[in-house]
This record gives sequence, structure tokens and C-alpha cells, in this order.
Amino acid sequence: MMDVVRKNGDKINTKQLSNELGVEIIEISALKGDGILEAAELAIEVAKKAQKNPQHTFSGVVEHAIAHIEEATVHNMPENEQRWYAIKIFERDEKVLEQLNLDYDVQAHIEEDIKAVEKELDDDSESIITNERYYYISSILKSCYKKKNAGSMSTSDKIDKVVTNRWLGLPIFAVVMFLVYYISMVSVGLAATDWMNDGVFGDGWHLFGIGSSQYSQATDAYGDSDQIIDGFVAKYGNDKIANAIDIENENYAEANAKKALEQLVDKTPSDAKVVYQTQDEETLEVTYHENTSKAELNSAVLAYLNTDYKEAYGAPDTSNYGIWVLGIPVLVGNGLEAVGAANWLIGLINDGIIAGVGAVIGFVPQMLVLFLLLAFLEACGYMSRIAFVLDRVFRKFGLSGKSFIPMLVGVGCGVPGVMASRTIENERDRRMTIMTTTFIPCGAKVPFIAMIAGALFGGSALVSTSAYFIGMAAIIISGIILKKTKMFFGEPAPFVMELPAYHLPTAKNVLRSMWERGWSFIKKAGTIVLLSTIFIWFTTYFGIINGDFRMLAEDEIDHSILAAVGGAIAWIFKPLGWGTWEATVASITGLIAKENIVGTMGVLYGASGNVYATIGSVFTSVSGYSFLVFNLLCAPCFAAIGAIKREMNNAKWTWFAILYQSGFAYAIAFMINQFGGMFTGNINAIGLTFAFALLAGMIYMMVRPYEESVKPAKKIKQTKSLEGAV
Amino acid sequence: MPLTLANVGEENIIKRVGGKPEVKQHLENLGFIAGGNVTVISAISGNVIVKVKEARVAISREMAQKIIV
Repeated sequence: MMDVVRKNGDKINTKQLSNELGVEIIEISALKGDGILEAAELAIEVAKKAQKNPQHTFSGVVEHAIAHIEEATVHNMPENEQRWYAIKIFERDEKVLEQLNLDYDVQAHIEEDIKAVEKELDDDSESIITNERYYYISSILKSCYKKKNAGSMSTSDKIDKVVTNRWLGLPIFAVVMFLVYYISMVSVGLAATDWMNDGVFGDGWHLFGIGSSQYSQATDAYGDSDQIIDGFVAKYGNDKIANAIDIENENYAEANAKKALEQLVDKTPSDAKVVYQTQDEETLEVTYHENTSKAELNSAVLAYLNTDYKEAYGAPDTSNYGIWVLGIPVLVGNGLEAVGAANWLIGLINDGIIAGVGAVIGFVPQMLVLFLLLAFLEACGYMSRIAFVLDRVFRKFGLSGKSFIPMLVGVGCGVPGVMASRTIENERDRRMTIMTTTFIPCGAKVPFIAMIAGALFGGSALVSTSAYFIGMAAIIISGIILKKTKMFFGEPAPFVMELPAYHLPTAKNVLRSMWERGWSFIKKAGTIVLLSTIFIWFTTYFGIINGDFRMLAEDEIDHSILAAVGGAIAWIFKPLGWGTWEATVASITGLIAKENIVGTMGVLYGASGNVYATIGSVFTSVSGYSFLVFNLLCAPCFAAIGAIKREMNNAKWTWFAILYQSGFAYAIAFMINQFGGMFTGNINAIGLTFAFALLAGMIYMMVRPYEESVKPAKKIKQTKSLEGAV
Repeated sequence: MPLTLANVGEENIIKRVGGKPEVKQHLENLGFIAGGNVTVISAISGNVIVKVKEARVAISREMAQKIIV
């Protein structure tokens, strides 16, 4: 910290200090890296020489007692260790006393000496030593340390007066967090993640964004033309027309397509009214556009045949704009097809490995941006102030002030959220935070929430809002319940933290911290996520049809191993109102990545053409909501489970976390289904009784008094803020 | 009076540090010793940031109440 000393204009007389302490002194700055090598070299040199005994002395009475103790207990030890042991015995240090295992007589004798000193100085022995040391320190400092502006407030204090202010503290924090969230999740991060998911791990992307805007203009101009034409073909056309205008058809030829469209226009009566449908790519929601007139068909046909803003007939093709780079799945797929690989191998590599691992890697840019910002906040010293500002609020439900950051990050993705819990030093608080962070609906759960809302609740925005509230309520309820269990009870850890002075961190430190976290996440994607995606892929796409074990096509998934497993365990979810194998399988595939729930349901419920209608007929609003809540709160995706395992660093706690989350999700979904059934006239007496019992049990767990802690926390861990290596 | 009631910005002299031996020891190790100076820099509903022995330490209300100035 010598850089700070010099900057403040303070003076330390190192020569004088060296004389007083009897050791050599090197000025270093860990932040800047000054003097570290010299210090290490000197340490080696000194270690080779004979050791000198320390020079400082305590006041008369204490020295007297220590001399006594030395003589009575440790006189046969090496000379340079005697004094240290004697002081520890004087302090009644448990570990040292245990190690020395003194005779009862000797101990009683020493105890008398210690008691006498304690009486004389009116304090306990440990405090006496502490006080003596501080007295000694200030006596030395007087002669060799000169502070330039003693007593006045430093810049750091002035900043603290504002950012930890009673009124401004929380608003400032909210603004900072909003910026962090906005930059990492919305502006920079989202763009980067979209590029990874839809570009690198999707169909492809425009190099440097060249051509993207032309493409989106072209798509806007083209609009729903394809769907409109399809709607008219379905009513007035025939298969021949449909095939002729299908660009992906093998025998497609532009001349034929044009002829077919003319035919279609001829066949359509001038007063025709047609319904056509469009589907949202993410949520699979189908919208019907009724009363479409022949005029719209005419303009759709014109758009189809237009080659001014696109190169060929039909919908504009992204690859014709700017410089189009193919996505990895496309490249690999083409490559594998070119070398004549078997279908199952292409499926395994593309649908299994690349899709699964890609879904995880896709979050990397977003996470790197987030980690960079968090590393900066941490290194400059603001993070420890946040914990201070929020501590009182979070203490109310058993979490620490530092739990907020993981939860905030968890809104984007649970994996960095769980990893952000690392800044919490207290082990109990950290474990609790890890267990509850993934209750917050992450970005990947949003499409699925939108799907349930659209299919069963008419797209009400209240459903997704309620999902966030349920997530927060789950955290608060779990916090209160867990804090009162044996595993978490005990004195709430006192909040004590040394706050580093604000400083601008070095780029090296911030980048290193970002990379360490980012890399451990990437490694995870290569191991646990890879294996589990292969497993799920295999069980989804293989199965027995008519006695043969073989690979399945997309529409045969109901014969897969996973379907069989889902069917076998679907009964577990009967009490929740959705004990079908489809819903069970969707929940299982949600473990790979929560956005898979939408994809799986799309495949399983998509046979009739309209996923939403099928979901609407299979689920009631009550069972649908129960399904939503269960998947919202239950075990997170494998990537997040991996993060939990890494942060818990303990298999038992990882399992406990996952089981707790799933159990909690089950209990809440069960109550929703049973109580919901009560209001919608679908009463199940046994289920309802259980639900009431469960609710009563949960309320009891929340309101019961804190158990007396059997043993006070033995040692209060000193909490040091993360200040790099300073 | 306990440190929680001290005015922001005023320098106080610590009269006594209370609490269980472990808590007391911990506070003393951080520099809260009888006779020493302590200045409250910021306070939020009982939690305080103080300047003690030229270091800035944030402590919760429960701990601050054990420091008598």
C-alpha cells in the first residue's frame, strides 16, 4: 500500500521503524507490484540466518506473569518459541493449551498468576494483550509515521458519506445495479448472446453485421406473404400448387412457381375470405388472421415474385445479404453429410452435443460482460459497501446483504448468479444464497412462461409478473424456514467487514478475475453438460418401435426411452394435476436447458398442428399454473446444477440443495393444484387434506421461534473484503 | 452510550467493549479498544461504518451496540 501512502503525502520513516522492530523493512505495493521481489529475496536471506528474538516488551505486571509462565511450562522448548507459547498460555488459547496438555497442578498455578494480573488491570487476559499491543504500536508510530492531513476526511470517506447515506444509499445502489444489469444482460450482453445462440450455434450470421439491416428490411417488406399464400392454397389450391411454390422442394423451378401462383389467383373467387395463421418462433404461439381478402393474396403474390429487394422468388434468404457466415451446426451438418456419416451420428453431434453445449456456451459473452463489471465493482471497493447498505433488509429473512447480487444476476442466468455468491464469506449465508438464487426466473424460463401464459391464460402479462413474485416469495419463505432449521441455525453471523479505500483497480486484476470465473464456466460446459446432453439426446431419439430398437424420427418421440421413463414416473406428478408422460418428459428435458421445455412441448403436442390448442385441451388453467410453478422452482438446468456443485464444493450439500428445490417446488405446485381445484369445483378430499396439512406445516416452519443455539458460534470469522492482493 | 447512537462525523473515545469473550476479542482485534478513538462515518438503521485506527470498518447494529463510547 506504499503507493497510497505516497499519494496521500504521508511519511513513514522506514529506517526508524526498522530499528524499533528489529527487522528489515521493504516498501511494497501489491497493486502496482513494486518491491515484491526484493521483499521475497530478503525473506529468503533472513530465513537462512539465525533468528533474532523480538524486542518489544509488555508492561511490568504482564512481563512478570509471562516470565513465570515461561519458567513453569515451556523452559525446555527452543528459546525463540518460548515467549510465543507463554503469551498464548497467558491468553488461555484453547488450541495451545490442548497441544501442550499441561499438568493440572501447573495449570492451576499459572491460573493464579493470570488472575492476579487480570485483577490488577481490571480486564481479561486476552484483552490485556491486545491493548498492550496497540499501546506498543502507537508508541512506535509516534516516532516514525507522519500523516499529512490527520483528522480530516479522506476522499474515500467523502464518497462513503454519499453512497452509504441513509437516504441515498439504496437509490444509488439501484442505479448502479440497473446499469450493470442493463449493460450485461440487455445492451452488450444480449446482442452477444443472440449472436452466439442464433448465429454461431444457429443458422449463421452476418460478418460484422453487414447485411443485417438490409435483410430485416426485406423481411419486413415481405411480411406474412408466405403464410397468406398458404392460407389461400389450403382453401382454393391443391397439392400441385403447394409443391410448385415450395422453395425447398427438390423439383422447384421458378417458372413453375409463377404458373402455379397465377393458377391460384385464377381459382380464388374475388369475394374470397380466408383465414391464415402465423406462429411465433420462440413461444410457438399461433395467431389466426381472419377475413383475409383476395387483394391481400394479390399483394402477397407480388411480394413472392418480386426480385427487386431479394434475389429470388419466395421469402428473402439471409445468406444473400452482406457476408453470411454459416453457423457451426450447419457447417458440421454439411460436412458430415458430405463425408456420408450415418444419420444417428449427425443427430448426435448436431442435436445432442452442439445444441446442448451450444446453449450453454451461448451465455458466455453475456457472462463475461457481467463478470467484468462485477469484478470492477468488487476491485474498486463498492461491492463491500453494497453489502453494508443491504444488510439490514436481507437480515430480516435470514440472508446477508451480499445475497442480493447473486439474485440480481440470476434474473439473466442462474449460472453466473450462483457463481456470484462467492463473494459471501459466511458459509451459512452463502449456502442459503446458492440454494435460493435459482428460484428467480432466469432468461431461459421466460419463453416457457410466455408459452403457458399464451396457451392457457390468453397471453396475460400477469402470469409472467406473477412468476417473478413467486420466485421472490420462494426466496423469502425458504430463507425464513431454512434459517430455523438445524443446518442453518445459530447466531446470525455478525456483520463485520473491513472496507478498503476506494481505488481504481488495475486492468490486469479485473480481467484476471473475469477470466477465472468465465473459464470455470466454460470448462463446465465441456464436462457435465456435455455428458448429460448426450444422455438426454440418446434417450429422446432412440426407442423400440414394433420390436426393433432404432433411432426415431421427430414425430416418433412418443416411442422413445425417455417417453417410457416419463410414463413410468408420471404418476409422481398426478397430485400436481399434470401426470402425463409428455409433461414429465418436458420437465426432464428442461433440465438440460429450461428453454427446451418449449421445444419438447412443441414436438410432443404439435401433432395436430397447433401446439397452443393442444396444450389448452390437455391442461386446465389450474394444472397449467401448477406445471409452470413446478418448472420455475424445481432443480435448475444442468449448467446451474454444475455451478451449485462447484460453489458448494460438497456433494452432500449439492444434493440437499437440489432436493430442497425440487421438494419445495413440488409442495407449492401441489398446493396450487389442490387449492385451485377447490375453487374450480374439482375437489379431491384426500389431496385437499394433505394440502392443508402441508400449508399448516409450512406456516409453522415459518413462525416457530428460533431454536436456542446449543453452542455459540465458536469463532467469528474475520471477514475481509476482496481487495485483490493488497 | 453505545456506538449506534453516536453522531456521524464526531470523534469519540471508546470507554468499554462488551459482549461475549469471542465477540469482544474480535472487535479488539479490529482495533476497538478502550481508550482508542472511533469516528462514525456513515450509519444506516444501526449499521455503521466507522474509522478506527485509520481503517474503515463496517459493523452491524448488534456489534455496534457492544461498543460503548
